[in-house]
Amino acid sequence: MTADQIVAALKTLVDQGKVLTDPDDLNNYGKDWTKIYAPSPVAIVFPKTTAQVQALVQFANENQVALVPSGGRTGLSAGAVAANGEVVVAFDYMNQIVDFSASDRTVRCQAGVITEQLQTFAEDNDLYYPVDFASAGSSQLGGNLSTNAGGIKVIRYGMSRDWVAGLTVVTGKGDILELNKDLEKNNTGYDLRHLFIGAEGTLGFITEATMKLTRKPDNLTVLVLGLGDLTNTMDVLQTFQKQIDLTAYEFFSHEAMQHVLAHGQVQAPFETEAPYYALLEFEAVSDQVMDDAMTLFEQCVESGWVLDGVISQSETQANNLWQLRERISESIAPRTPYKNDISVVVSKVPGFLQEIDAVVNEHYPDFEIIWFGHIGDGNLHLNILKPEGMANEDFFEKCQQVNKWVFEIVERYQGSVSAEHGVGMTKKPYLHYTRSETEIAYLRGIKQVFDPNGIINPGKIFD
Amino acid sequence: MKVLVAVKRVIDYNVKVRVKPDNTGVDLANVKMAMNPFCEIAVEEAVRLKEKGVATEIVVVSIGAKACQEQIRTALALGADRGIHIETDEEVQSLEAAKLLKAVVEKEEPKLVILGKQSIDTDNNQTGQMLAALTGMGQGTFASEVVVEGDKVNVTREVDGGLTTVALNLPAVVTTDLRLNEPRYASLPNIMKAKKKPLDGMTPADLGVELAPRLSTLKVEAPASRQAGVKVADVAELVDKLKNEAKVI
Repeated sequence: MTADQIVAALKTLVDQGKVLTDPDDLNNYGKDWTKIYAPSPVAIVFPKTTAQVQALVQFANENQVALVPSGGRTGLSAGAVAANGEVVVAFDYMNQIVDFSASDRTVRCQAGVITEQLQTFAEDNDLYYPVDFASAGSSQLGGNLSTNAGGIKVIRYGMSRDWVAGLTVVTGKGDILELNKDLEKNNTGYDLRHLFIGAEGTLGFITEATMKLTRKPDNLTVLVLGLGDLTNTMDVLQTFQKQIDLTAYEFFSHEAMQHVLAHGQVQAPFETEAPYYALLEFEAVSDQVMDDAMTLFEQCVESGWVLDGVISQSETQANNLWQLRERISESIAPRTPYKNDISVVVSKVPGFLQEIDAVVNEHYPDFEIIWFGHIGDGNLHLNILKPEGMANEDFFEKCQQVNKWVFEIVERYQGSVSAEHGVGMTKKPYLHYTRSETEIAYLRGIKQVFDPNGIINPGKIFD
Repeated sequence: MKVLVAVKRVIDYNVKVRVKPDNTGVDLANVKMAMNPFCEIAVEEAVRLKEKGVATEIVVVSIGAKACQEQIRTALALGADRGIHIETDEEVQSLEAAKLLKAVVEKEEPKLVILGKQSIDTDNNQTGQMLAALTGMGQGTFASEVVVEGDKVNVTREVDGGLTTVALNLPAVVTTDLRLNEPRYASLPNIMKAKKKPLDGMTPADLGVELAPRLSTLKVEAPASRQAGVKVADVAELVDKLKNEAKVI
């Protein structure tokens, strides 16, 4: 089929005006936050119903046309990039919250509902959707589920997967499946719901999801602590976790904070300089909890792990302290960072950190390294900044050499080459560091079952 | 030089305010409370004066229920030296607050009194001015810069169309505007030290002030919710609507 024929056919499958072919639109909808691959889709199509999605998938199967899903396009692994003449299926117009049950504490959303929209909806109903991250204002639920997004509250609330009660999907074969039907208990064989979560759109399209909600946290209070060195992050975590249920535990390096402060609008927490900082959040539900936090802080100071610290006295201050962490990605974006998103089990973090830090400093002393991450769940974001004046290609090539060193350590620690960003295209060559060849063969087998013609998001996760 | 700072406990700036169903007021049940942002700026300015060696002692005062002590402790952690809590569960209006503060001023004899220009709950913008009038002190309101020189204080004020600077003889009353400074965070070591700083409790009766509200609230209503927008098909329709519906052109 020629491009013109495809476009003409697509126009018969969705509402009027919901097929775009303008070069600006192709460029915009054909990529995510990775800037490595040049987007080149044939067309962008906006379905409004599950039935329209099904029609698109059936058309794609009949004519061997590849489809790429597109949500908020905030992905960091090129999972939603259309670089090979695919048709982009964008969920922007499937953005309705279609049902809510206060007694089940569930909300039924179309795939294009924006994360913040869901959070606000929950709040308006005196409930809480706890999955949260810096891109919550643009990312869509369908994308969150397809990448099993994590974010800043995983230590307490888990990943996106943990909040899904039911899914409606259109498989790569074009079948509509209602998965789990919102049941809390449903032990009736394979739970296909969980195959689609984290599948990065390679098995089919998630078109609707029933999400669970929970009670609102009470009086969230933020501590920012200056740490003596990298391994103190775990000392502090363990000390606090003995007595307080943390809702977040983040860390970032001094260099990361310098970028945020230089970016403006954010104030340093204190004058004391520290090489690393930890951000802790918890529910200060009583004076007892606050007293405990103070005592634990004193213990950490006496042990020499913590140099200084502040605590939020209001929600405004809590939000401002969070900015120190949440603005890191934005503030380093102009330096074309090469992002690694790696994880190990929490107990192995200190040794792992030391080895990675040593290897990067030894082999790449000229690169500026920015460390931050959700260290409370063993997840580290290692960002390498492009030196001024270096060409993009040279930089990425060098980073790939670093990758080998880093991922060999990841493999040795039985960690993950992609903790929460997914595999997409950028981590595809490194999948074998985390998954065995035998396991990958099973993954391919599953792909074959749901998408025998290979038309749904081809070339992502594996070839 | 002794500086007196008044702070008020208000609903947290970030909280989405809800009106009680019976329209008698704002729902405060389980709502996060915090120091009024303009009062934070007042505390910060006093602490900076102390760091410059201008102020020698900072006394922080708050009026209200027992929970106000949290905000006094915060001010102590930020650098105030001692606290005064005037405890009452009654509603305190601007004039009563000013009378209570006048009584504290007479006791403490500060050279400078710094207050927020208004509190974000009632938005009255009256207490500082009333206090100046009751005590006969000069007033520099909406301060964006405060410079103490000898027995005078120069207060730069934000006014329509620019800035004016007034020179006041000490003792004087200053109220703070948003751009005066950026308040610091309370550090944990200082919060712990603040627990040991003195905090005196007293009642309006101790100060010889009778609380007699002069205003009564008739009704509190939420603002009207915003209407959804409409999409117009073309420029002609837009112009037509602006002319005939909105009547703005």
